[in-house]
Amino acid sequence: MASLFRLIVRTQMTRGRVVALAAVAAIGILIGFAVGRSDIADPARAAYGFVASYGLGLLVPITALVFGSAALGDPAEDATLVYLWLRPVARWKIVVASELAALAVAVPFGVVPTAVAAAATGQGADLVLGATLASLVAVAAYSTLFLGLGLLVRRALAWGLVYVLIWEGFVARSGTAAARLSILVYARSLLAHVAHAAPPRLAAAVPTSVITPLAVAAVALVLTTSALRRVDVK
Amino acid sequence: MSERGAINGTARIADQGYRRYDGPRLGPDHAIRSVIAHTLRRILGLRRPARAKILPVVTIVFSYLPATVFVGVIALFGRFGAQDQARRVVPKYADYYGFILSAIVLFVTLVAPEALCPDRRSRLLSLYLASPLTRMTYLLSKATAVFAVLSMVTIGPPLLLLVGLALQNAGPDSFTGLLSVLGRIVLSGAMLAALFTALSTAIASLTDRRAVAAAGTLLLLVGTGIVAGTLHEGLGLSASVLVLSLTRAPFELVVRIYGEPSTVPSLTTAALVAGVAAWTILGAAVTVIRYQRLQVTR
Amino acid sequence: MTPVVEVDGLSKWFGPVVALSEVSFTLERGVTAILGPNGAGKSTLLRVLCGLTAPSRGSVRVLGMTPRRDLALNGRIGIVPQQEALFDSLTARAFVSLAAELEHVAGPGAAAARALETVDLDPGDDRPLRTYSKGMRQRVKVAQALVSDPEVVVLDEPLEGLDPRQRVRMISLFRDLGAAGRTVLVSSHVLDEVERFGSRVLVIAQGRLAAEGDFHAIRELMDDRPHRLRVGATDSRALAADLLAEGIVVGAWVQTPTTVIVDTVDAAAFRRALPRVARDAGVRLTEIVPLDDDLESVFRYLVGRR
Repeated sequence: MASLFRLIVRTQMTRGRVVALAAVAAIGILIGFAVGRSDIADPARAAYGFVASYGLGLLVPITALVFGSAALGDPAEDATLVYLWLRPVARWKIVVASELAALAVAVPFGVVPTAVAAAATGQGADLVLGATLASLVAVAAYSTLFLGLGLLVRRALAWGLVYVLIWEGFVARSGTAAARLSILVYARSLLAHVAHAAPPRLAAAVPTSVITPLAVAAVALVLTTSALRRVDVK
Repeated sequence: MSERGAINGTARIADQGYRRYDGPRLGPDHAIRSVIAHTLRRILGLRRPARAKILPVVTIVFSYLPATVFVGVIALFGRFGAQDQARRVVPKYADYYGFILSAIVLFVTLVAPEALCPDRRSRLLSLYLASPLTRMTYLLSKATAVFAVLSMVTIGPPLLLLVGLALQNAGPDSFTGLLSVLGRIVLSGAMLAALFTALSTAIASLTDRRAVAAAGTLLLLVGTGIVAGTLHEGLGLSASVLVLSLTRAPFELVVRIYGEPSTVPSLTTAALVAGVAAWTILGAAVTVIRYQRLQVTR
Repeated sequence: MTPVVEVDGLSKWFGPVVALSEVSFTLERGVTAILGPNGAGKSTLLRVLCGLTAPSRGSVRVLGMTPRRDLALNGRIGIVPQQEALFDSLTARAFVSLAAELEHVAGPGAAAARALETVDLDPGDDRPLRTYSKGMRQRVKVAQALVSDPEVVVLDEPLEGLDPRQRVRMISLFRDLGAAGRTVLVSSHVLDEVERFGSRVLVIAQGRLAAEGDFHAIRELMDDRPHRLRVGATDSRALAADLLAEGIVVGAWVQTPTTVIVDTVDAAAFRRALPRVARDAGVRLTEIVPLDDDLESVFRYLVGRR
């Protein structure tokens, strides 16, 4: 499993991606720093708004989407999955190693910059804790969901963008039922509660905000393992 | 025996295997038109299985849906003589883009990667450049196709709204007014399409993987929006900083093109024009430089 | 002894496309070549045997286990897939070591080095695989298949991209594996080299098994097609006339004054009668060469008539 993990991390971490994501993360941290040093009327609200939009709304889903869908999706598309699949390694180990590899890249580029940006705003430990917990929960749910999608669907990232932009960005704002199918709503609800900020519209309760995304992650892992057993390997 | 066929009295051999092509050669213009047509088909999933059409169709339908709904509302209320009240529900043309911003952003992230990345990934670019196409004509062809497709969601929906309202006698009062609105729709839609074509092709030129290019485009569009918004509204910086926002500046310029009241009056139109032009030029420059430096064959 | 590979009534379709239809055969240890035109179903058959895709109908047993269902089988099969793609950012040694680790081979680094040396690659080469030529990539693929010393080795077009010297080396390697008791299944288009693997073949055409077994024996079974031989003689015309008169041959073509091509439906009877006829005609024989006893002729006949 360790060798699989190392392989997937290595194939994901290309120089271009590292540079681009580091730049995006750095900008976020700088902005957070600027928010903390400004003399606006309600810096706490500004800081929360920035963490909720830049961190949870952009950085976390995009990094999780890119690396989650690529972990098994790239080998499947490139026809190199056969070198991993036709081995006496339990399918669940392949899936778990892939997911851990996706997290190993998504957490430093998604979760850590979000938490550091929150810290840079200087609005207290609650915001940092909330940002960390919310982004961890969100990255776990997004990455496992897209891990399976990347294996099964040809244009997984495009469908992931449809989910993030159309469903979460538009449809999920229209009603409670749709909001319950949005990982972003759970993440923002958790952030608002821990950071003692005003909860977003259609917010979920705290236990639900933690349990539901993690349950989604667990179910996604099980389904991905089953799919890996049954998939036609190029 | 001639190459074309051997004729001897009552016999003729028709097929002599390989023969040179001696017909007309249609030249670079035809090559350019072919690339444009092929790229349009590829982006829209034409002549491919149904699943290749789902994403572009869903996105395009989503962008036209509000216009269809609004025209339907006008038509429905018009039957009961309440067209004027219904007209208040319908947004102004400039505001229409707010309804379909997600669809536009999604479409922009998907189109240019589909147009550019597969040619490099499959090493087909070397075949293109072995034809009468140069790197510049190849890029111009691709950019034309991307521009045309993006225009479908930047010009098409407000145009549908205009036509629908006009047919219900709820559009502009005079023919001059109609032409004026039409001109603004085309100008603002073309401006948006040109800007997003330049930026998305720039990102797509930096990576061979469509997925990475799409994610990069999204980060650029939405990220600049969030950053500029935070700097202006969160930190109270001057409104000029909004020219950095790719989800705000171009649509604010659209508002100015329609001559409607702006939500950011302190941001001058000149700054907006300069900002949008600068982004467009930057995107185009990155694309051209990247492709000029690209090593095409191994 | 239980066969190593048992395939019974195997069919595989992808939507409306039937890739394999009612294929049945068994394989023992040694080298077997799979031949067939493009699109015949060779790659599909190999993929089904390895478990990369499930059969639509029928059964497949390898080493007494069911591919795809019995995970332990994965550790006893090595595959060289047809596609060129590799993990381009890795070095050859890292890639083959990864294979060894996933196969639970003790000392994966050393095993990888040995496997690379077997295919004439330098284990100390630090260049990433993306810089490798087609032939080098092909050899890396073979190395990763052999690193765990599997009992069954499946190779899909393994000679592609190799230069003549490398082909000879690779063929020799496959023969050695077969001789050492491995079951080696090779798919190839390069017929004259496949003949050097050994004589056992499976011929696939349009998804069906056209023939299996020793290709010389297959040729003998083709009794609806006359055998063609070239006979060198001091007077080919006289020999041809007497052979036709005896009824031993069904056709004769005097190619040169000293060469005649004959068609006969009974090769054994022809071989018995030829010396007597030549002696009686006062003709001295200089050569007797079968012209369609090679694999290419067998192959062409089997797949050409469909």
